Amino acid sequence: MIEIIHRIIILWEKHLLTMRTIEHLEMFSIALTISVITGVSMGIIIYSHPKIASPVLNFLNILETIPDLALLVILLPLLRLGTGPTIAASVIYSLLPIARNTYAGLKAVDAQYVYVAEAIGLSPKDILFKVRIPLSLPLIAGGIRIALVFTMGVVTLGGLVAAGGLGTVLQNGIQLYEKDVIILAGLWTGILAVILDHGAGRIEKELYKRYGTWQPQR
Amino acid sequence: MPTKILFERIDSIELQGVSKKYGSRFAVESLDLTIEGGELLILIGPSGSGKTTTLRMINRMIEPDSGSILINGQNVMHLDPVRLRRNMGYVIQNIGLFPHMTIEENVGLVPKLEGWDQNRTTERVRYLLDFVSLPPDRFINRYPRQLSGGQQQRVGLARALAMDPPLLLMDEPFGALDPILRKQLQKEFLEIKKEIGRTIVFVTHDIEEAFRLGDRIAVMDNARLLQVGAPEDLIFEPVNELVADIVDTARKFKHMDTLNVKDLMTPLDTKYILEGDLDACHAVEVMKDRNTETCIVLDNGKLIGKLEMVNLLKCEEKNPLVRDIAKPMKVFALRDSVATALSEMKRSGEYMAMVMNGDTICGMLVSDEVLLKLI
Repeated sequence: MIEIIHRIIILWEKHLLTMRTIEHLEMFSIALTISVITGVSMGIIIYSHPKIASPVLNFLNILETIPDLALLVILLPLLRLGTGPTIAASVIYSLLPIARNTYAGLKAVDAQYVYVAEAIGLSPKDILFKVRIPLSLPLIAGGIRIALVFTMGVVTLGGLVAAGGLGTVLQNGIQLYEKDVIILAGLWTGILAVILDHGAGRIEKELYKRYGTWQPQR
Repeated sequence: MPTKILFERIDSIELQGVSKKYGSRFAVESLDLTIEGGELLILIGPSGSGKTTTLRMINRMIEPDSGSILINGQNVMHLDPVRLRRNMGYVIQNIGLFPHMTIEENVGLVPKLEGWDQNRTTERVRYLLDFVSLPPDRFINRYPRQLSGGQQQRVGLARALAMDPPLLLMDEPFGALDPILRKQLQKEFLEIKKEIGRTIVFVTHDIEEAFRLGDRIAVMDNARLLQVGAPEDLIFEPVNELVADIVDTARKFKHMDTLNVKDLMTPLDTKYILEGDLDACHAVEVMKDRNTETCIVLDNGKLIGKLEMVNLLKCEEKNPLVRDIAKPMKVFALRDSVATALSEMKRSGEYMAMVMNGDTICGMLVSDEVLLKLI
């Protein structure tokens, strides 16, 4: 037992796993942040302009069907090697679930709340920001959670295009055929993904319970 | 961003030839109706009669196809809908409190949007919760789902009163509550109505509620206004079978002829009695303390007449004795028929009369109360 732990520590240090993990989470956070901001904005925009909703969602759907490896390779000439194409690919994959859920959430808000909001004198902008968006937060969070899993996968794949992160460790393991490294890095990436997804799941559940986290500006 | 106050108080709301069509069917057809400032007007009728549509046209939630709606002479169609709606309170049957906001956030939503600071908003919310009999400390931080239906409806009313609007629109506010709770809230609402003294337009399909709360009742059926008037107008002079049917005259008032004044009079409460040698200035104080607007003036147990606060305020300069300014009032005997007494009172426009047995005062006959006892 002690021997196994010892081997793990040696491998961990040899392959700079702490640094790789930080790199990995860094890329992951940047990608997810960009995805959330653009995805939610897109959802709101297509909600406000229903005419473009269907073409935009269809376009995102097409992007979604490109295999991730192919997408990374396509982005290479544009964004060079490294973190650029990895983050870009993560965002492209994440847009659909986030934008679609935001759009669906905004549409699904119970009409009676919108009616009352209008009747007590809220402007269309107030209704969007104080009623519709807060009430669709649970669905938006659901979309973000799907995006989180996608992003974790694509960021790991980034090891192929020299993006750093845990994917690089895996890649090295494969190149050198070091089974121990492959197992260790693979398990660790998996555990990270499960932990993050679990956290997101709890947030989502909490949002469902509370219907929304909107608080007035103090 | 604060919106301008459109009206400090309501002088009148005039609906002139208002029509609204859905497809080929009229929801409201050439409706003419004037709502006077300070009154509670009931819109009643079967479902699909156009009463809710009428209400919603006042705050432009529905826009009329033709005709005009004037509030204090201003056409609502020329006003910004957001501003218009912030100048009136609105209460609906399913309440529609926002589930993601606490009670404070719900009630304080529009004040916040009007740019009130947190302290002022909280203070207002606490005052309003207290006003609708919800202890602020216990309720202000709760979420709507933690409240019962009746409590939610109170919060709904508090929200409608948040900006202290001169006009309240109420769309079957007690319709979804169980009968006992409904009675209770109606009773409390009557108290509130007295205190706030605003113009209220109230939609209901419950004739008892209409009689209980309404100053005037507008009966609608099939997109048209059939009759508008005080409860006794509808009872004694329904314009047609339909109105009679809606007010249920036949069933409820068939015993009317057999009833005497004695059966329906109210005992004379000492708070309504003033001695004749009191002067006007003191009478005003006394009436203010007793929280009454009308008094009966007696001189050594002999009836002189009645006195209204409005008349007293005018008399203050000369400060006469109340016995000299009291107005004569109708007197009925114990055995007089209620039907005759009521129609006589209605003809002379009086709402209260004395009941005497010879020279002894036995009680009062108050038209509203008589009707309430009958239904």
